Amino acid sequence: MNGNLSALTSLIMLVPLIIFMAVMVGISFYVRHKQAGKNFVSSYFVGNRELGGFVLAMTTVATYSSVSSFVGGPGMAFQVGFGWIYMAVVQVTAIFLVLGIFGKRVALLARKLNAVTVVDIIRARFQSDFLAAVAAFVIVLFFCGTMTAQFVGGAKLFAAVTGYSYEAGLILFGLTVVIYTSIGGFRAVALTDTCCAIMMMIGIVLLLHYVLQAGGGFDNIMTTLETNNPELFEPFSFGNMPWTIYFTQWLLVGICTIALPQSVVRGISYKNTQGLHQAMLIGTVVVGFMNIGINFTGILAHGVLSGTAADYGGVDNIIPTTIVMAMPIELVGLAIIGPLAASISTISGLLIVASSAIIKDVYLHWAEKNQRVVTPARVKFLSMAATAIIGAAVFVIALTPPSLIWLINMFAFGGLETAFFWTLLLGLFWERANKLGAMLSMTGGTIIYCATQAMGFKIFNLHQITIGITCSLILFLIGSYLGKRSDESTLKIFFPKN
Amino acid sequence: MKKNNRASMSDAQKFSLVRREAIYTGLALFGLIIFWLIAGFGTASLDVKIFHVPLWAILGTIGVWLVAIVISFVLSRVLFRDVDLGGDDNER
Repeated sequence: MNGNLSALTSLIMLVPLIIFMAVMVGISFYVRHKQAGKNFVSSYFVGNRELGGFVLAMTTVATYSSVSSFVGGPGMAFQVGFGWIYMAVVQVTAIFLVLGIFGKRVALLARKLNAVTVVDIIRARFQSDFLAAVAAFVIVLFFCGTMTAQFVGGAKLFAAVTGYSYEAGLILFGLTVVIYTSIGGFRAVALTDTCCAIMMMIGIVLLLHYVLQAGGGFDNIMTTLETNNPELFEPFSFGNMPWTIYFTQWLLVGICTIALPQSVVRGISYKNTQGLHQAMLIGTVVVGFMNIGINFTGILAHGVLSGTAADYGGVDNIIPTTIVMAMPIELVGLAIIGPLAASISTISGLLIVASSAIIKDVYLHWAEKNQRVVTPARVKFLSMAATAIIGAAVFVIALTPPSLIWLINMFAFGGLETAFFWTLLLGLFWERANKLGAMLSMTGGTIIYCATQAMGFKIFNLHQITIGITCSLILFLIGSYLGKRSDESTLKIFFPKN
Repeated sequence: MKKNNRASMSDAQKFSLVRREAIYTGLALFGLIIFWLIAGFGTASLDVKIFHVPLWAILGTIGVWLVAIVISFVLSRVLFRDVDLGGDDNER
């Protein structure tokens, strides 16, 4: 689409992006310098529990909002209409739910147990190294899938808008995110996430403004749509939005997201409950603004693009094409920072949790159990190396992008929710929950979910998350009633009595 | 004074409070789902538009968002209480 762009114009488009990436790396060095001398594991994996309300809100929102929220989602809104926004708005629950349900409980437990990861808490609750190892494995496995999708989505967007190659985009933002996460750890991730969330909002406002301008104003675009695309104004979009999508989206991107490890770990990282309360409010405002803003822009893109989504190569090309066609060339570089920020903020959030799963949850626990001495310098080296290696591995996979990447992304999302939803919810709020229940639920539920995905088996044409989450619950209850109760000392920690 | 009250809570009281707050959050979710259903599907048959946008779409998107903001406000400012999280984090 950018065959006519001169080399100089292409370079001009890159400048804001390069500056933004340089700021991200600069933040990581600053954080590294500021954290010197503090407990490395705590500072690297949970930012020493120092996050305030604003940063907590922004990092939770930014990690949750992926590149598909900025590319695939609005592309679907272009095709389906207001029904898509009505469905996507369920995501406004994500922040107040995860912080309201798990925020304080996880924070209290983390301080009691000196835990820095979600797996630490699972291990302590169910007294099982095996379960902890399974949890760490599930995290690394599904996170790699999600991260690959983010890398591929971001690089494709970059290539489509700037005219540079897919590989150039991958190197520019892919390597940057791996470097700044490896160097700065969680604190850097939280601060860069905050910058990313701000850039996402600026990007939405800019794009909306220029789309309205290019389409001849709001009245003109909407009047044309009312005549030419009446399906966009109907909740089921003349059959394009079946009720099954509404139902499964409530589970997949609404209710079940409370148990995503990358969200729950935010509960370990904040400083005090005033900050948590602020974050619930700020996060809900921001996530709603982003969701409605970018998807509404997707519908209004009809004012810029006269054809169907298929005419532009599919829904994923709607936003990139709109950016190129509606925005002045000197602002294109600024506009794509938003979607790329969504991509890198999700990658960094997952990368640091995946790294903690390997180093803290597996290696350091193994060393402690076998009375091996691990020097602080070695922990530091291994933590940074693990982050860099996982990031590099995903980067290499993304160089030859697998097909059906968005399906892989949703598959990973559902897998994490199946594995962790009942284990965390019932484990932290139900005394009867025990090791057998959690093991059956996490392993059995995840295997059933993966098997139904592999076979393409569905019930009532609902996404397989419905099967996974139901089986996971049944297995949890069976195990909890058949198995032995957790011991009293554990229950005293998790359910203290007067 | 508020800080002293927070500090004087026992572990059992803190966990009980946190459990209650989680239940409030769950109830709020239930309420929001009901509102979402009524605001969107419930008004879809009405032929009313505001600035060219159908009423169901406004209530089902911006309306749901505004209600979620009100819920977050009520939860965080009215129903939730400050708790001393323990450890040395508050002194840091």
